[in-house]
Amino acid sequence: MTAAGIALVVDDSRVNRLVLARQLTALGVEVMEAEHGLQALELLRAHPDAIDVVLLDVMMPELDGYATLAAMKADEDTRHIPVIIVSGVEELESVIRCIELGATDYLVKPIDPRILAARVNASLSEKRLRDLELEHLEEQRRLTQTIERQKAELSRFLSPQVAALVSSPDGERLLGGHRRQVTVVFVDLRGFTSFAEQADPEELFAVLGEYHAMMGAAIVEHGGTLEHFAGDGVMIFFNDPVPQEDHVERAVRMAIAMRERFAPLSAKWRRSGYELGFGVGIAVGYATLGRIGFEGRYDYGAIGNVTILASRLSSQAGPNQILLSQRAAGMVEDVVQVEPIGELEIKGLSRPVSASNVVAK
Amino acid sequence: MNDHEAAALNQAILDELRASVGDDLDFVVDLVRTYLVDGEALVTAIGAALAAGDAAALVRPAHTLKSSSATVGVERLAATARQLEMAGNDGHLEDAADARERLRVDWQEASAALRQWMAGVAAA
Repeated sequence: MTAAGIALVVDDSRVNRLVLARQLTALGVEVMEAEHGLQALELLRAHPDAIDVVLLDVMMPELDGYATLAAMKADEDTRHIPVIIVSGVEELESVIRCIELGATDYLVKPIDPRILAARVNASLSEKRLRDLELEHLEEQRRLTQTIERQKAELSRFLSPQVAALVSSPDGERLLGGHRRQVTVVFVDLRGFTSFAEQADPEELFAVLGEYHAMMGAAIVEHGGTLEHFAGDGVMIFFNDPVPQEDHVERAVRMAIAMRERFAPLSAKWRRSGYELGFGVGIAVGYATLGRIGFEGRYDYGAIGNVTILASRLSSQAGPNQILLSQRAAGMVEDVVQVEPIGELEIKGLSRPVSASNVVAK
Repeated sequence: MNDHEAAALNQAILDELRASVGDDLDFVVDLVRTYLVDGEALVTAIGAALAAGDAAALVRPAHTLKSSSATVGVERLAATARQLEMAGNDGHLEDAADARERLRVDWQEASAALRQWMAGVAAA
């Protein structure tokens, strides 16, 4: 077997270095030479990744084999490089000490080329394995870093739940589309269109910024999944991707919190001359959820009558009303006070729907 | 150990060395030439250390000479160098004059034997 690699031969005798170098070259191994330990450590520090095995004499000037070995083992960059001790017959005691210090193997002079080949090849294989392992670990670390960075970046754009879903093992299946009962909440601003026409861009963005910040905090507090912000309109759903047993109640409590927090904002805007109201529609039903859009721009969305119903209820809601579909109202009437407001004709639906307004907590 | 029983040159060592490098005679001849150059310098350094009574300065060249000499088969010189190395390590330089003389003689015999060997293989 031909070994390929680079060996560092460390021996104070030039004659001995020449013999080892000649024998190693015959094995296909490239050779670097050092006269003593200090020179060896210098070379190792300069080429920590290039040197695959060190053949080390024990008795040397400047820095002997023990100290060289100890220094190599103490250095993170060189400790994994295999070291073969080359010793005279009368130095076998020192070989034991070197093995204890971490030497991989030893050779006794005069060196039998077959034994040299066997030991060097074994050390080179060990080193190759070790290098592969290190490479693999490094690759793994880079990959993890990339994923962590993408997750962090993603969570700035997506709902935390959706960001987590994307990187979960179940993510691909759930993103591919699934059907589930959800509570859908639509919130919009009354009077926003005329406000948007009159206001300066700076004012418009300042108002939207305050509104979205307030809404965002309430969504996160109640564990809602934000589907989108569309100017003044906001769609949020519950019970997906994270299942929530109390999804209707969460939705209603979030809407109540928003309504309470909207009051001071609305008063402030009124002082600046903008009349903006707040309306919410909430419906419960089955929807198909998953990745919606096209390559390059996908949203995590919900599709179904339930979203249409929530959206229509929100547009029918009067100022500060939180309108619940009949089913949603039935599921929370024990925990919040609701008041039926009769039947509403809703565009796109053949029959009128009963709705209720949330009066109080 | 009676070191004077060791041969000035054990040719079997050179034969083994030659076999260990794929029967590359030119390499062995070059190696012996290198040995003669380096050996000369080492013997000089050892002589100076002995003359100065400097045990520490003796150890390194004696060690290197011992190990190089063993490689090329000049066993008597290797043994003398080993004794000098040990004497240097122990700090015993009492009979420095004798030691220098023995080293000089052993080196002359060793280098002569090696030159003779080179002449022999060149002729073959």
